[in-house]
Amino acid sequence: MKAKFLVPLFLFLLLVGFLGFGLSLNPREVPSPLIDKPAPDFTLTRLDKPEQTLGLADMKGQVWLLNVWASWCVACRQEHPVLVALSKRKEVPLVGLNYKEVRGDGTIDMRKVAAENELPMAIERASDWLKSHGDPYDVSILDINGRVGIDFGVYGVPETFLIDKQGVIRYKHIGPITPDALRDTILPKVAALKAES
Amino acid sequence: MPWLVGTALIHSLAVTEKRGAFRSWTVLLAIAAFSLSLLGTFLVRSGVLTSVHAFATDPRRGLYILGLLVLVIGISLMLFAWRAPKLAGGGKFALVSRESVLLANNVLLSVVATSVLLGTLYPLFLDALNLGKISVGPPYFESVFLPLMIPVVLLMAMGPLLRWKGHDTGVILGKLAPCFVASVVLGFTGAWLAGTMSWRMIVGMSLAAWVLIVNIVLLVERLGERPGAAAGVRLSGIPRAWWGMWIAHVGIGVFIIGVAMVNGTQTNLDVKMRVGDTATMAGYDFELTAITDAPGPNYAAAEGTLKVTRDGKPVATLTPEKRIYLARQMPMTEASLDIGLFGDIYASMGEQIDDTTWIVRLYHKPFISWIWFGCLLMAFGGGLAAADRRYRRLAARTAPDAGARQTA
Amino acid sequence: MRRLLLACGLSLFALAAHADTAAPVAADPVLEARVMALSHKLRCLVCQNQSIAESDADLAQDLRAQVREQMTAGKNEDEIADYMVARYGDFVLYEPPMRGSTLLLWLGPMVLAVVGIGVLMVRLARRNKESAPVLDDAQRAKARALLEKDDKNGTQA
Repeated sequence: MKAKFLVPLFLFLLLVGFLGFGLSLNPREVPSPLIDKPAPDFTLTRLDKPEQTLGLADMKGQVWLLNVWASWCVACRQEHPVLVALSKRKEVPLVGLNYKEVRGDGTIDMRKVAAENELPMAIERASDWLKSHGDPYDVSILDINGRVGIDFGVYGVPETFLIDKQGVIRYKHIGPITPDALRDTILPKVAALKAES
Repeated sequence: MPWLVGTALIHSLAVTEKRGAFRSWTVLLAIAAFSLSLLGTFLVRSGVLTSVHAFATDPRRGLYILGLLVLVIGISLMLFAWRAPKLAGGGKFALVSRESVLLANNVLLSVVATSVLLGTLYPLFLDALNLGKISVGPPYFESVFLPLMIPVVLLMAMGPLLRWKGHDTGVILGKLAPCFVASVVLGFTGAWLAGTMSWRMIVGMSLAAWVLIVNIVLLVERLGERPGAAAGVRLSGIPRAWWGMWIAHVGIGVFIIGVAMVNGTQTNLDVKMRVGDTATMAGYDFELTAITDAPGPNYAAAEGTLKVTRDGKPVATLTPEKRIYLARQMPMTEASLDIGLFGDIYASMGEQIDDTTWIVRLYHKPFISWIWFGCLLMAFGGGLAAADRRYRRLAARTAPDAGARQTA
Repeated sequence: MRRLLLACGLSLFALAAHADTAAPVAADPVLEARVMALSHKLRCLVCQNQSIAESDADLAQDLRAQVREQMTAGKNEDEIADYMVARYGDFVLYEPPMRGSTLLLWLGPMVLAVVGIGVLMVRLARRNKESAPVLDDAQRAKARALLEKDDKNGTQA
């Protein structure tokens, strides 16, 4: 048997190796290029005190989680009990980024919403939702038009960012946070980052 | 991928049949063509790639299909590795001959198929090796496919002009040089007439002209092979397989015209329209005469009526719809098409801006039917070649031999 | 007097019946063409099988608006593409970047074509150099018999 005729078989087995491994990967997941890079700066209206704002600088010196959510997001309801339980343990501050509360809701016809009404509407809807489902957030801020979301590379809701004391993004969790992910990945990282000076 | 490799296969068989040469290559192409079909099944069902073709993806199902792949393709390739050395040999032929051109095109077609496979799987390779996540889309495939297909089309047209075993280089160049010049001239003319003098347009039209001109020369030569015989005798003397090849190759020329024209000269206009408004695009006038309610069994719809005229003469009436399927409040657009021999016009409804105004999207796609027409010609040519009487004669001839062997 | 009233009436009727030429959706069609051209090269991260030009997803519309805004501000295609890659990674570009890890992807096809044709030509040249097989008398007689049987059964065209 001449060696060169074995080449097709060899190449095929190599391909099968990749395909088999590929079955365990998720091709739809988009990894964040912002890991280990400074978080984009932002200044957004607070949900609890709409006349005040919260900026990235206000969180400097702490290790904290930024959770992207909206009242129209179905998957957020899945992770909400996990977040509420987390907030009761007071291990890590949780900031909620309310994302496109009004214009992201497919049932609202934006042509009927006056521009100046969008913020009050968002505040009302978000507050009502937190009141009925529980508020796990130390503070919630409103990203009405989704621009801050784009800066963070948000492409779906919910997503959660782990940001360290210097304001650098260290980890991004895509999708609802499960108790396993919290226990095995996120909380250990929080502990490690807190230990950093 | 399977049709690229399949095309290489049927042409490789011509060389193997004539010269008994390159048989192991032909066998490998046959294995590859079927393997790529199986691979396609795996790719769309396993969830390994994000694809518009993927449906009902399930990694567990993917594992079963992968197992099937390993079984079928693995055994085929093992057989190949074991028996292919015995397939060596075969007759000789010159570097400038029909066989060489066929084989060169085989190499090129196989490279194109490999490139498509490479582009499709590369994101998976990088992701598996933790080298990042990339997308490979139309810009890549176009930049690889088009440059490689140009020599394929060039060789395809001239292949039948070359003799088996060997052809005088000077003679063939002498025949092809005027064809080449004429093609380039026609290419420039075609692009100029179409109104788009881009390089893509010129190359596309020149290639199409090359295919058509060389095929005409080929037909004239073939008909001239029996001097003195009547036209009918000459025509019927040409076997179906030859006609099949001729029609299929002409089909490729027609296909290229379609692609070049659509890509080079299509137009699109998005306008805000109220009932009574007119829009003009590509020499056609579109008047929105009405917007009516056209509910269906499971949807509500707004249907626009557009009267299309050209220089005042009516051309068509288009009725695009904007539907909302009630179950999930999902909006869908139903475009309205006017299909013509030299171009399609189509219109679709965009969003409703206010109570009386809608966004209407208008498209003009010249020569797009030629893409389908070219493919029909290729299919017809293939069918004609398969119907060649020589296959039945060969079967009849080997049958009595088989019978004799059995009784002996 | 009656004629004047008639003329006024007719002209009013003409005004009411006057239909406008539809206005294009985009305020600036030239800019819009550039926006769409770039949008066709950016992948929608939600649908993932459409560019942001084709996709109806919310995020696609937001990103299109971003492209339009930045182009109006004077940024060119490369700068806007870099902006998108900085936030979403290479995944958002339909054209894979030219990098060490993608060298095989970009150069592979051309290299393969050149090597393939080269190998073919070498193999053909080598074949032609081989001398023809020599038959002994018994083999030659057998070959002649087989060919004569073929001739009797009728040759093909």
